[in-house]
Amino acid sequence: MKNQDKVTKDKENTELKKQIEVLTNDWKRALADYQNLQRRYEKEKIEFAQYANGILVLKLLSTLDYLEKVQSYLKDDGLGLAIKEFKNVLSEEGLKEVEVLGKKFNPEEMEAIEKIDGEEDKVIEVISKGYRLKDKLIRPAKVKVSVIII
Amino acid sequence: MGKIIGIDLGTTNSCVAVMEGGSPKVIYSAEGRNVIPSVVDPVSHIVGDVAKRQVVVKPRSTIFSIKRLMGRKYKDESVQRDIKWLPYSIKEGRDGMAVVEVDGRTFTPQEISAMILQKIKADAESYLGGKVTQAVITVPAYFDDSQRQATKQAGEIAGLEVLRIINEPTASSLAYGLDKKNAHTIAVYDLGGGTFDISVLELGEGVYEVKATNGDTHLGGDDFDQVVLSYLAETFQKENGIDLRKDPQALQRLRDAAEKAKIELSSSKEAEINQPFITQGKDGNPLHLNMKLSRAKLEELVDDLIQKTIEPVKKCLADAKKEKKDIDEIVMVGGMTRMPKVYETVKNFFGKEPNRSVNPDEVVAVGAAIQGGVLGGEVKDVLLLDVTPLTLGIETLGSVATPLIPRNTTVPTSKSQVFSTAADNQTQVEVNVLQGERPMAADNKSLGRFVLDGIPPAPRGIPQIEVSFDIDANGILNVAAKDKATGRSQSVSIKGSTGLSKDEVEKMTKEAEVHASEDEEKKKLVEIRNLAENLVYTSEKTLKDAGDKVKPEDKKEVEEKVSAVREALKSEKAAEIEDKTKELSDVLQKVGAAMYQSSSTGQQTTADNQPPTGEQETKAEEPKAGEKVEEGEVVK
Repeated sequence: MKNQDKVTKDKENTELKKQIEVLTNDWKRALADYQNLQRRYEKEKIEFAQYANGILVLKLLSTLDYLEKVQSYLKDDGLGLAIKEFKNVLSEEGLKEVEVLGKKFNPEEMEAIEKIDGEEDKVIEVISKGYRLKDKLIRPAKVKVSVIII
Repeated sequence: MGKIIGIDLGTTNSCVAVMEGGSPKVIYSAEGRNVIPSVVDPVSHIVGDVAKRQVVVKPRSTIFSIKRLMGRKYKDESVQRDIKWLPYSIKEGRDGMAVVEVDGRTFTPQEISAMILQKIKADAESYLGGKVTQAVITVPAYFDDSQRQATKQAGEIAGLEVLRIINEPTASSLAYGLDKKNAHTIAVYDLGGGTFDISVLELGEGVYEVKATNGDTHLGGDDFDQVVLSYLAETFQKENGIDLRKDPQALQRLRDAAEKAKIELSSSKEAEINQPFITQGKDGNPLHLNMKLSRAKLEELVDDLIQKTIEPVKKCLADAKKEKKDIDEIVMVGGMTRMPKVYETVKNFFGKEPNRSVNPDEVVAVGAAIQGGVLGGEVKDVLLLDVTPLTLGIETLGSVATPLIPRNTTVPTSKSQVFSTAADNQTQVEVNVLQGERPMAADNKSLGRFVLDGIPPAPRGIPQIEVSFDIDANGILNVAAKDKATGRSQSVSIKGSTGLSKDEVEKMTKEAEVHASEDEEKKKLVEIRNLAENLVYTSEKTLKDAGDKVKPEDKKEVEEKVSAVREALKSEKAAEIEDKTKELSDVLQKVGAAMYQSSSTGQQTTADNQPPTGEQETKAEEPKAGEKVEEGEVVK
């Protein structure tokens, strides 16, 4: 009888130990998730503050493209000043043009739209400019690249 | 403990998700996007968006659509068809398998896919801040054993232990939790970037069985874009005699514009396509593209494409030996299902609303992550946290229910707030714990009440009584009230504060909605009354404190106004009480101003000489929560 009691107790003990293990695991997992979330939240908060304007700036870029395109035809002094002012505002927000013309094609910051026969992998024309916002690429430059066509 | 990631390794795009805190979360790429283009330059080891940007320059070394070759023999009919249009070189490798050749080196489709998986793994590791070694990867339901094996190998090459390969439609169904919804027969409609798949699944004993699949391996969003592009180009050509498709730069701008318009038309009825200076006319003058595209026109243009999906659906149903009416649930997958016309077409065909609440680009990865969670024991054993189904609060001055813990708050949780007394020399407060959404105490359910006594006599609003609510994981609510001055406290424990039956919760929530406006009025009346009573109290106190500093005629006026407010309070007319209160307040301000003027010369202002406004009492003790305390005075 006593033995049987002991067996039941032992069994109960093992069960409980197993349960503790499961619960500890779950708890640790939840805690880990939470701590990760907290860390990421802090990081994202900083990033958000830094790049919150990114989406708006990105939208404005196509307007800037158009204006520059218009200017390339009209060559109007007033419009030139207006574009300059517009660019000033954007650069105050941390916008920087990616310099690509004449460089070696680099897909990290450029997208090839067209290729022609010529020197190997050289950007020979910028179709639309690429931009960085505070060092983060927000739009790759669209470029025409010369390649050696065999 | 490493996380198991879920990967949707797609033909056009791939996506990755992971279980976090018991729910799936999509991991964004280093480039900040929710999907990664399945494009690889195997020689320079460039993957995703970056690789996609160089396709034009390196068409023969930039590999896309590799999934089409996974686990296939070179001589397979489908491979032979794909060779015709894929720009890179496809060869016959070991055992007759299809391989790609780049710069004289051969790569198996497994190796190419592994590079995509490596990029996914790296992005996931940077997101999770730890090593990732295990994954669940999805494949189309029609993948045979060799294709599945190849996918698994790709994972292994990338350093991932592939715990399971699951079918894409199964993953989508998991993402919608259909396994728990008693849906027996499910149709998954997947219209992605380059392929269309339809599957019919049957769920039994927790296992999904794919009954039949069908589809079109070359039908997807890209075709839709192409149709729009052709329409724009042809219209432009008709008007200006110039084919924009012949000018690569104009074509690129047109392509971007067509895709943008297509996306815009999923949410608006009309899109304007504006591309100034798109090209030059024959006379050298610049030409602009300025067109409007309506949703109706777009739908007309792509109607053939959408209709093309219906035939495979019919065949799939026939193969599964099912009829439309046998389908319990329909799941929409793939970016193209965002198009209202696609959704409508599917809905009309089945005569049932398809599921589309999960982002269609992410749904497969989400399902894979859930499967990963199940395998890792995270989903099954996850502590299903309860939420409080109804708002919990206490009764405050004027029988108002003041909420402390709003409904749908995840438990365990706790919240405390400081309240004060409603009358001078009040030595006890009664805390009435309420549950429900109605603004008036009487309309909510009282869960229990208790009295905290022994509060030292003080003017109203001075004592600080902290009331705290705490719900533990078992749903037991502990409410305590503590007098901050004496430290005396009293508490009550209420079991089953979350354990209402579903019907009860529904009934109470519905009642709150039905009575919302009349309740609001009742509450407003109480607030007006409270304000009025408060002002009467302040007025009398001011007169008493000021003594003979107040001119007798002023004093008389204030007293008259006070009794007018008192009279009005006997009625239940909010407007009248409000009017009289306003009059009293005006007079009181006038008197107060006069007092200050007279005292400014003699510097008689003292600490207890309070300005005659209605809210000053609480300012002294808790400037920030001033109004809160006022509102929350505990009813005697």
